[in-house]
Amino acid sequence: MTGNRLRAEGLVLTYEDRTVVDGLDLEIPDGQVTVVIGPNACGKSTLLRALGRLLKPRRGAVLLDGTELSRIPTRRVAQKIGLLPQTPVPPEGITVSELVTRGRQPHHRWWQQWTEADEKAVGEAMDRTATADLAERLIDELSGGQRQRAWIAMALAQDTDLLLLDEPTTYLDIAHQVEVLDLVRQLNRERGRTVVAVLHDLNQAARYADHLIAMKAGRIVAQGAPSDIITADLVHEVFGLTSVVVPDPVTGGPLVVPGAPWQCG
Amino acid sequence: MTIRPSGFSVLRAGRGSFLLHRRAALVATVLGAALAVTAVVYLCVGESFVSPTEVVRVLAGRPSPDEFVVGTLRMPRLVVGLLAGAAFGLAGAFIQTVARNPLASPDVIGVTHGAGAATVAAMTFGVTAHTALPYVAILGGTAAAALVYVFAWRRGLHATRFVLIGIGISVALGSLTQLFVTKGDYLVAQQAKVWLTGSLNGRGYDHAVPLAVISLVLMPALFWAARAQRTVSFDDDTATALGVRLGRVRLCLIVLGVVLASVATGATGPVDFVALLAPQIARRLTRTAQIPLVGSALTGALIMAVADLLARKLFSPIELPVGVFTAAVGAPYLMWLIVRTRSRSGGAA
Ligand SMILES: Nc1ncnc2c1ncn2[C@@H]1O[C@H](COP(=O)(O)OP(=O)(O)OP(=O)(O)O)[C@@H](O)[C@H]1O
Ligand SMILES: [Mg+2]
Repeated sequence: MTGNRLRAEGLVLTYEDRTVVDGLDLEIPDGQVTVVIGPNACGKSTLLRALGRLLKPRRGAVLLDGTELSRIPTRRVAQKIGLLPQTPVPPEGITVSELVTRGRQPHHRWWQQWTEADEKAVGEAMDRTATADLAERLIDELSGGQRQRAWIAMALAQDTDLLLLDEPTTYLDIAHQVEVLDLVRQLNRERGRTVVAVLHDLNQAARYADHLIAMKAGRIVAQGAPSDIITADLVHEVFGLTSVVVPDPVTGGPLVVPGAPWQCG
Repeated sequence: MTIRPSGFSVLRAGRGSFLLHRRAALVATVLGAALAVTAVVYLCVGESFVSPTEVVRVLAGRPSPDEFVVGTLRMPRLVVGLLAGAAFGLAGAFIQTVARNPLASPDVIGVTHGAGAATVAAMTFGVTAHTALPYVAILGGTAAAALVYVFAWRRGLHATRFVLIGIGISVALGSLTQLFVTKGDYLVAQQAKVWLTGSLNGRGYDHAVPLAVISLVLMPALFWAARAQRTVSFDDDTATALGVRLGRVRLCLIVLGVVLASVATGATGPVDFVALLAPQIARRLTRTAQIPLVGSALTGALIMAVADLLARKLFSPIELPVGVFTAAVGAPYLMWLIVRTRSRSGGAA
């Protein structure tokens, strides 16, 4: 699989003295949707931050097109990799349309703040996320789901080949979750975008991932096509959960059904 | 339908395109007009009243019997006040942007107390020439801010640590200043006290020179800063993901703020509330997602001119230091801000 644009070699990731990831090798397959799953605090966000050069590896390296990420000017990186953190904080008093516009920042020159490309990218991002109706609203005054869609619109407006999304479906109702995941797939299939997303819902992960990465305690337990790797054993190993894996009635892929609920008596 | 961020107009010139916040532009125009009116009133009133027509004649460079009073006595003081006010306003805008805190001001990052300690020390050791003191203040302010920065830096700059260390160093420098005041002889102590309140009494064009020079030199930096402001107001991860070199951008913004605040403090002494108030007032007027720079500068200049007008006139013939008036307005505002911030966060912090 060599020749993929985004790779990590011997990655060691630490916060102060706490080592979260210790010696991890990884390839993100080009032109595919990669989904990262794993229990809370296993290091998913930490890994994603390293892939998006937000966290400098203690040892090892993340390579983009063969060049160490930390050697590429951060603005250049921002033109190629977009990243939406798990809990982004907006500037106080910003409107939705202005927030989405900020996604264009890496493409701007000081004398070119609103080009045709900007207009197109912002318009499209807002259409696709159904945020056009919210354009003039303040971010602080939106519901959690509306806010999440505005953030996704900002990441889309950045118009990058690689898109890293940390739990893009949190806060969204089931319909909007499906909408966002469909959008991700559409971007991938129609535009050839490479997407890495952290998701918590195993069944959504199984449905939308071309490539699934299961993590536990900073290590990769298994990776590959969902239908190849999702088994009751894996679910037990990663999450410590008893479950049954049956064929998804719609897609035929794996569907994880947790074991019987607790009952008295 | 043409799409653009709401509230903005696009200005095009050749291949260039600029986003203009309509409300911010309107606010700047209105503030500019208010400033012009205030300036004329400022030049009219004083120990003797000069009619506005005469003031305008003097401003236009035509001969007038009031040329001495308006052009020589009042004008230089007004110029120093306007420049210092604008510099304080901008300094506050930069520092509050980086600290992400409406309570931050040059006071908080050591500039004011550094300038104060250096100036009072110089006075104690017999340096009284008013051509030398502004430069002593600039040196002291910058040195103190640099010290705060060095202590606050630990693999990155964190807003909270920055502010806390700034306050700590300010307190230390404040006591040092008091020590100099009490050790110095009576005259020096008196002079030091007036300086420490912040005053425009007896300010002339030689005080305006460093201010004017620095303002001109920093003009191009404002374009850069206005752009940088748009991204530093996100959380660190989001800002970095948008391609911002956060550490460097923050350092540059702070340096701008420190230089402006030091130079202004050198000219007038610490009229600190201007830097605290101006950016917040300006932002409430423009309703922009970041602190408006032009608005902050104009608001700072306006506050300074109005406050000094009152300081000169209200208890005439006694002229009070302008710092007394800015403090009279600023202190209640500061309390209100603190109370409001507390009740907003619901005591969770
Ligand atoms: N800024 C930080 N400083 C110190 N430790 C951190 C920091 N961020 C995360 N950690 C720690 O690193 C470990 C991995 O955290 P990470 O955020 O990567 O988990 P995650 O897999 O994304 O979890 P979740 O599903 O809850 O989002 C955790 O033990 C966490 O406490
Ligand atoms: Mg996480």
